[in-house]
Amino acid sequence: MVAVNIQSVWKYYGKTVAVKDLNLLCRENSFLAILGPSGCGKSSTLRMLAGLEHISAGDIFFGEQRVNMLPPKDRDIAMVFENYALYPHKTVFENMANPLRLRGVDKAEIDRRVKAAAAMLQIDALLDRKPMQLSGGQKQRTAIGRAIVREPKVFLFDEPIAHLDAKLRAHMRGELKHLQRRLETTTIYVTHDQLEAMSMADNIAVMHEGVLQQFGTPSEIYNHPANEWVAGFVGEPPMNFLNCRLELTSEGVVAVHPACRIRLNDAQRRILEEKQAEPDVKLGIRPDNIAYRAGANSGLDIPATVFVTENLGGDMIVEVTLGDDRLTIKTKIGPIANLDDPCTIAFDVSRIHLFSTTTGVAYF
Amino acid sequence: MASREIAQYPSSTRRVLSVATIIFIAFYLLWTLLPFLIMFLSSFKDLLDAFQLPAPGDWGGVSLLFTFEPTTKHFENLFVDLNFGTYLGNSLIASLGSAAVSVVLGSFAAYALSRFDFRGKNDLFFWIISTRMAPVVAVLVPLYAIFRSLDLIGTLPGLILAYTTFNLPFAIWILKGFFDNVPYAVEEAAMCDGATRLQALRMILPLVAPGIGAFLVLCVLFGWNDYLFASIIGSGGAKTLPPATIGLVQPQNIQWGSIMAAGVVTTVPMLFLGLLIRRYLVAGLTMGAVRE
Repeated sequence: MVAVNIQSVWKYYGKTVAVKDLNLLCRENSFLAILGPSGCGKSSTLRMLAGLEHISAGDIFFGEQRVNMLPPKDRDIAMVFENYALYPHKTVFENMANPLRLRGVDKAEIDRRVKAAAAMLQIDALLDRKPMQLSGGQKQRTAIGRAIVREPKVFLFDEPIAHLDAKLRAHMRGELKHLQRRLETTTIYVTHDQLEAMSMADNIAVMHEGVLQQFGTPSEIYNHPANEWVAGFVGEPPMNFLNCRLELTSEGVVAVHPACRIRLNDAQRRILEEKQAEPDVKLGIRPDNIAYRAGANSGLDIPATVFVTENLGGDMIVEVTLGDDRLTIKTKIGPIANLDDPCTIAFDVSRIHLFSTTTGVAYF
Repeated sequence: MASREIAQYPSSTRRVLSVATIIFIAFYLLWTLLPFLIMFLSSFKDLLDAFQLPAPGDWGGVSLLFTFEPTTKHFENLFVDLNFGTYLGNSLIASLGSAAVSVVLGSFAAYALSRFDFRGKNDLFFWIISTRMAPVVAVLVPLYAIFRSLDLIGTLPGLILAYTTFNLPFAIWILKGFFDNVPYAVEEAAMCDGATRLQALRMILPLVAPGIGAFLVLCVLFGWNDYLFASIIGSGGAKTLPPATIGLVQPQNIQWGSIMAAGVVTTVPMLFLGLLIRRYLVAGLTMGAVRE
């Protein structure tokens, strides 16, 4: 059980930079998710942690120990691969026993530990099967079993549940988190699925094009995105963005959009003054923070027209046209509107985010 | 991987085609198997019986081919008087030895070419296979000169080396394909489990075993069937079955019976090897290692 400390790490593939000057700390026994789209450098980071790839520059520490030059077998890590990477010619038992055999654990102990891990993962009935005879979920459990039999210092997960079907994925999210809490092992989990990161991790590192965009708890990432990219990547449906211009009027600071005016509150005004915000900004608001009512003159501030309505059962997603922009709104289920029906909407001003149009950095 | 059922619907062309296919296959089998039948039967016949041939068009006379008094005297002649036991041994040692050397060295080279990136890798790979592009005859003379100065002419190590020269590039080329098919993730998993690279390689060897087995047969066949090297580099001390068989053709006397028996002796071991290895040849390669 060690902290994992990544200090100014770079990774090049030829002239392509995969990871740029990454600094990350995963505290002892905590669960860190590295979140980002494909090609953002998250898998390269994990592979450098595992020792499967060299570190181009920088240092990685497990606790006090610098591991840059250690081969995987000496790092005391266990990794679960995206495609499971089971030994196809070995049974589930032998797959799980392999790490122990390679470390010279005696037979009785291997037997005991494999069976305990298999029981925990509910695959004890499958120990004699070969990977070919397993379903996706069972293969994945076997791969996890192979990782946990050994009580390593660090767990590394590379999108372990990406290939399972949606229902099983939801189930495994809970199981993995439970497992990590029970074993109390430092865990680094790479995923492109924000739901996995949000639901399981203590901390999330959001990466984009090799650069760490934001590091924080799931709620920090969701409620206070550091920049426009993070704001747009995290959240489902994604955040709405409107190009606005800030104007100082008698009623305070107003964000002016061709089709609406939104008065900001005093706290927001103070932040903008403190940060000397430029007048051109990008306004971001999540679909849940917009109120919606069907019908013209239905009482909310801003008139708009319905583009399409999607029924989700309990909720519905309404897309409305506001000037030249389109907004996604998530609301409780109500009457399904027709195309081009009029409606009114209102923004929850306290949940608005403003981003610089030039740098994309969030003012708040 | 798994073969899929292909929906086919009857049509008149298809019916004609399927009948034509059967006729073609029947003729093809007759064409390829008949010589073996004649060889096999003749090796057990006395010379007089062997030349009892039906006249052209006399279909009833076919029974002549099967009416004879079986005798093993040709085989006795080969093994007792003509020393064919030694030649059979030489053939086995030369072809199996070369196949073993080629497969071991070839596996390591193919693994390296499959897994590592280094400067000039593609050129090296092409150079390896380009050594097989020249016909054997073209390199025979220089090879003979080299082998003679190394005192390898007429020795089994010389013959093994000569076959390996030709088997190895082929082995590297084919085995690389097999290694390429094994997902690297399996080795990475092994290394994370605590294996060294060599242990990881050993871990995936069972996955390439069908390929190695199949290739072993090809190497053995090359050495076993070779005449050119055997007659020139192996001449004298390392005579193998093909040159020994040719030796039965003498200006004053062609020993047909013994030649037929030698043909049987040469064919049967490879026939059994083929049957033995057949199961391997069709085995799946990765057997569900990785989610497809």
